[in-house]
Amino acid sequence: MPEENPKEEDAARSRWWHRWFRTPGELRELGVVGINMRNARYLLPNNPRRLYELVDNKLRTKALAEAEGMTVAETYGVLRTPHDANRVEKLLNGREAFVIKPTRGSGGKGIMVIDKRVGKNFVKPSGAEVTPGDVKNHVSNILAGLFSLGGKRDYALIEYRVQPLELLTALSFQGAPDVRVVMLHGYPVMAMLRASTKESDGRSNLHQGALGIGIDIATGISVHAIHHGRPVTHHPDLGIGLVGVQIPEWDTILHMAVTCQEMTGLGYLGVDLMIDRTLGPLMIEVNARPGLAIQMANGIGLLKRLEPIVAEHQRNPAADLAAKIAFSKKHFRANLPPVRE
Amino acid sequence: MSAQAKLITTVVLLCALGGGLAAYKSQKLGVPFWQDQRVDEWLVEAKISFLATGRDVKARLALPSKANDQNAGQESGSLGYHYDVEEELGESTAIWSSPKREEGQALYYRVRFKEGPVSGGEAISPIGEPIALEVPNLPGSLGTAARSIVEGAKGLSEDPDALFVTFFKQINSSDASQEYVLVKRHYEKESLAFPKITMGIDFLGMAGVPARLAYGVKLNDELVGQQPLPLLEYFDGAAWKVRDPQEPSKVLDGRDVFVWHRGGGPLLEVSGGVENSKVTFTAVKDRIPLSRLTDLRNSPFLVSTILGLPVSERAVFRYIVLIPLGAFVVVLMRNIIGIPTLGTFMPVLLALALLEIEPLKAILMFTFLVGAGLWFRFLLSRMNLLVVPRVAACVVIVTLLMMLMGVVSYQLGFSVGIKITLFPLIIIAWTLERMSLIWEEEGKRSAIVQVSGSMLVAICAYYFMKISQIQYWAFYFPELLLVLLAGILLVGRYTGYRLSELIRFKTFSNA
Repeated sequence: MPEENPKEEDAARSRWWHRWFRTPGELRELGVVGINMRNARYLLPNNPRRLYELVDNKLRTKALAEAEGMTVAETYGVLRTPHDANRVEKLLNGREAFVIKPTRGSGGKGIMVIDKRVGKNFVKPSGAEVTPGDVKNHVSNILAGLFSLGGKRDYALIEYRVQPLELLTALSFQGAPDVRVVMLHGYPVMAMLRASTKESDGRSNLHQGALGIGIDIATGISVHAIHHGRPVTHHPDLGIGLVGVQIPEWDTILHMAVTCQEMTGLGYLGVDLMIDRTLGPLMIEVNARPGLAIQMANGIGLLKRLEPIVAEHQRNPAADLAAKIAFSKKHFRANLPPVRE
Repeated sequence: MSAQAKLITTVVLLCALGGGLAAYKSQKLGVPFWQDQRVDEWLVEAKISFLATGRDVKARLALPSKANDQNAGQESGSLGYHYDVEEELGESTAIWSSPKREEGQALYYRVRFKEGPVSGGEAISPIGEPIALEVPNLPGSLGTAARSIVEGAKGLSEDPDALFVTFFKQINSSDASQEYVLVKRHYEKESLAFPKITMGIDFLGMAGVPARLAYGVKLNDELVGQQPLPLLEYFDGAAWKVRDPQEPSKVLDGRDVFVWHRGGGPLLEVSGGVENSKVTFTAVKDRIPLSRLTDLRNSPFLVSTILGLPVSERAVFRYIVLIPLGAFVVVLMRNIIGIPTLGTFMPVLLALALLEIEPLKAILMFTFLVGAGLWFRFLLSRMNLLVVPRVAACVVIVTLLMMLMGVVSYQLGFSVGIKITLFPLIIIAWTLERMSLIWEEEGKRSAIVQVSGSMLVAICAYYFMKISQIQYWAFYFPELLLVLLAGILLVGRYTGYRLSELIRFKTFSNA
């Protein structure tokens, strides 16, 4: 986007107080959206409470996605009762790698990833071994509602362990990086790749020290990266450059994200995807309350994209999927750095 | 109507309603709006309660002489009872009667007077009747011991005031002479209502000073439903005086004690086969002139009727009206400032717990309990327990820790532990569970930040609720809570940045 606004230039200029804070005026010039604004302007009016159930329950989200013909991680089994917890081994049916997660978890809570087996034990990506008893206990905790929203009773979902592309695992210290696309009214707003670090311990939550890597909506090339809110160019543990990486199958990803919006009916949402070596992009989950760190990762205030979308949505409420993607690609193109080979 | 318009209309309506009612109450009904304009009046309410058994009931309550004062107001509340006041020799008695009553009954009598040094226990000259001196007949060694005590005291001074002080200093003291202990034991065995005072009355009688029981009420806002305070009235040769046997050398101060009944007769008599009859008192500092109160009670506004409740019931609202204030502080701290807290209203609960215990002690206690509890909680988590048993185990551990704290602090001479009630226990157990979960899931930094955030918000809420002008408004102008509600609604539509976000986004850099 061309930067002609002199006030914006002004806001970007370094000031002595930027070490401690930015003034509300500066943030507004930068188009930064705060929690209150996100909730009052975008979440509450566009996301009716009754639709939350569709995305808070992963089983329902997966069923919807499959009905739309979307690729999702294969479900190996669902554990519903304490009795089922004793049958984990049988359900696994000798599988080497799998993921156990709560159906109503949030923020990556309660997810156990198993990469392989060694004798009777299982091995996590970090190399730590867990016994079958540990796995059973984890399932019991999930069923008791330890990780679910509001502590409600929950089911445990056993599914396919995604084998991420080497291109992406190279950017992440353990853990598989995922792609998040934030959407408003079905228009892709912003995207980022979340990669873990030693500090974040395989998790991809930014406030736990994971990296946020902003991705250009038009091309799927990474443009900017942050660690703890500060811009970085290289992975702090691996030393690999983070900017200029082309995310493969970008158009498929955008297509899936927009489909997720259509199938759930939520106005403002974040779609999380992973890219498998053989299966390509997989829809992992839909988040009805996507966070604000994505604007830091992209170095662009969310408001600069949300406002044009609101205007476009009013002008053309019946736009179809292709038109929406075309609009976002046309208007939200970033100033690209050279692509890294 | 758009959401915006609805909100503005609601806010304006709420402000107009709340503000209007408050203005009406202060301008027309004369309820002072500012706390320092208040009239320092005490409202003392006697509540007679008993269990009727279906027969004709008659209750007689001796009334304070102060009730006859020019400046004082009085009234009685008793649905369906015939009510009358009988006067005899300057002493008045309220009489309620009603045929065929059943089940629990409550009768009220309220007296209102200006705060001042006059307690109603001042010296008064005897009227008419000669003063009869009752000399008790104590048998054998008991009589010898008692006579020896009285003679000993008379040897020091024959003055009735001095005798009174000497006797009661000895009776109250923990290292009294053998003779006192002997006599005291006898009186305690007799299972009288007030053994110590009866003993003092008998000693005074033996020394030639007529004395009798009187009743008072402690003027303390916090005592709801207090028992009648036993006092002693004696004749010093010229006039009757009332003193508190607990503090024998002090003249009664009308700011602490109000003498409800003197003159010797019974305080309460209920006839008609009733059970469990008793009288309890509640004293509150009231800021509304009695003459106005009746207007207020008859006024049609629902919100005003909180003041029409019996005093003992009204006192409950003292804390309840503070909860919305705490909630308001939480809203400000979370949505405008952006302090992270554990749960939304946990800080309000904490703040209420702070009101029960002193804040500094409460913080120390809370920190200790949460720290120790968390440590145990991690020991438990090694055993891989299921969630519900683990929470239950937490509650047991916290209970034990609280008991331990109570014992230790008592032995060290603090009285912190004593006031711990059910309420803080639940809050702490719950905090532990939430905190340990966050600890595991989001790391210790997050957990500590959220708990300290909750504590900080709770302390702010506590100090806000503690401002006496705020308490005054909440209690006497509860309709102002509607204005508060309007404020909360407005914050609910605040879309600006939180203060914490100014810091969070300080490193925002344009790509």
